Amino acid sequence: MSSTQLKAISATPAPAPGAGRQTHSVAKLIDTTTCIGCKACEVACQEWNNQPFTMGGFEGTYQTLPGLTPNFWNLIKFNETDQDGQLLWLMAKYQCMHCVDPGCLRACPAPGAIVQYANGIVDFNADHCIGCGYCMTGCPFDVPKLHPQTKKVHKCTLCSDRVSVGLEPACIKACPTNCLSFGTREDLLAKAAARVEALKLEGKAAAGIYNPPGVGGTHVVYVLAHADHPENYGLPEDPKIPWTVALWKGPLKWLGNLVFLGGILGAFFHYVRYGPKREREDDAE
Amino acid sequence: MTQSEPRLERFSAAERVTHWLVALSFLYAALTGLALWSPRLYWLAAVFGGGPTVRGWHPWAGVLFAAVFATMFRAWRRQMRLDADDRLWLRRAHRYAVHDEQGLPEAGRFNAGQKVLFWAQAAAAILLLSTGVVLWWPEVMPRAWRLAAILLHPAAAVFSIAGVILHIYMGTAAVPRAFRGMIQGWVTPKWAASHHPKWRRQIRGR
Repeated sequence: MSSTQLKAISATPAPAPGAGRQTHSVAKLIDTTTCIGCKACEVACQEWNNQPFTMGGFEGTYQTLPGLTPNFWNLIKFNETDQDGQLLWLMAKYQCMHCVDPGCLRACPAPGAIVQYANGIVDFNADHCIGCGYCMTGCPFDVPKLHPQTKKVHKCTLCSDRVSVGLEPACIKACPTNCLSFGTREDLLAKAAARVEALKLEGKAAAGIYNPPGVGGTHVVYVLAHADHPENYGLPEDPKIPWTVALWKGPLKWLGNLVFLGGILGAFFHYVRYGPKREREDDAE
Repeated sequence: MTQSEPRLERFSAAERVTHWLVALSFLYAALTGLALWSPRLYWLAAVFGGGPTVRGWHPWAGVLFAAVFATMFRAWRRQMRLDADDRLWLRRAHRYAVHDEQGLPEAGRFNAGQKVLFWAQAAAAILLLSTGVVLWWPEVMPRAWRLAAILLHPAAAVFSIAGVILHIYMGTAAVPRAFRGMIQGWVTPKWAASHHPKWRRQIRGR
């Protein structure tokens, strides 16, 4: 959205025009304790983004598909776990987490294919995407999906098109229990904290906020009744930007550039200093 | 005058074709790879038809490179074995670099530097191919493999390109008329005696 300032642009060394600008960042809060698994958010997402639905196989659960797809960006994960002899049936809406420090953006080699708006939304630009799929490896949440026909990567946009004109994301709009809310990240983190306090008073000692610090925090934040085991909700335990991606984009790149430059200059100045190899005067042994 | 120069066959037509297929496929893969290596080199993608085109063809160039490299490897691997002289040569390689070749063992058809380059490029090629295949289809490859490949592929490429920079310098400016040996296939006896004396003796009278 050109109407929204950019904070970070993939594969672009120069600072983004909106970098350093103070704006309220937005967030989506998912209170899993009041989710009823109705899937209205899934339908609203498909509708608003005009996505064709592709049937998946039946997996024996209520879950619509085994995972996100290039055409399915919002999935409620249904998980059954056994805790202290008690069955827990957990539902958690799953989509792009809109990380504060997005691994996809770090891994992307195509300038402008992934951008982060000043409001925190991480968005993919299909017209700059080259379809390499590096974002899929950089993302610790397994969110971006490569479309087999178009060879472009797709994911939840946090309805950047709606947000930029002052509307809330489609999933939020559709939620009948208000388990989803949208607003400034500050407000929603406070709201989440208050909700966690209330849950603790109700006896849910393990209640907590899922806002993983390994990716600098996220713009999609969860309230979990069992925050000590986010993996039971299908959420990664401690998501981080992969160290191999960080090493490649950091030290290896410097080392490599030094090697290339050193090699070319080294060869040139070797010639300047020592000149070419000379031939013998005769063909004798 | 050049017509009267005596000629020795340095590389057969088959060797030259193989070498240049390796070189051209490598060059394409390296330049398109560099486009994705650094945003400051992304303009190379435009030179080769744009980002999606580069992403589409780079892996195929890699497959071609691996295939012709394998052919070259089969043809030369025996001649590339390092002997005692080569090991001594490597210990005194600094003398070769400054053109002070006193005490430097005589080189055969390939000198020890060329042999080391051959084995180093072979190792890099294996690594580039195996990690490249993983990066080619991110949607089906296990995550752990992709995480390794995303680091090892560029690391192997840096290693390989560094070797090729040296190789190009040696084959053009540093050793005059070596290039003609690889492109037209012949050198003069004097050139052979100067740079590959052991080889010169081996083929004398042939």
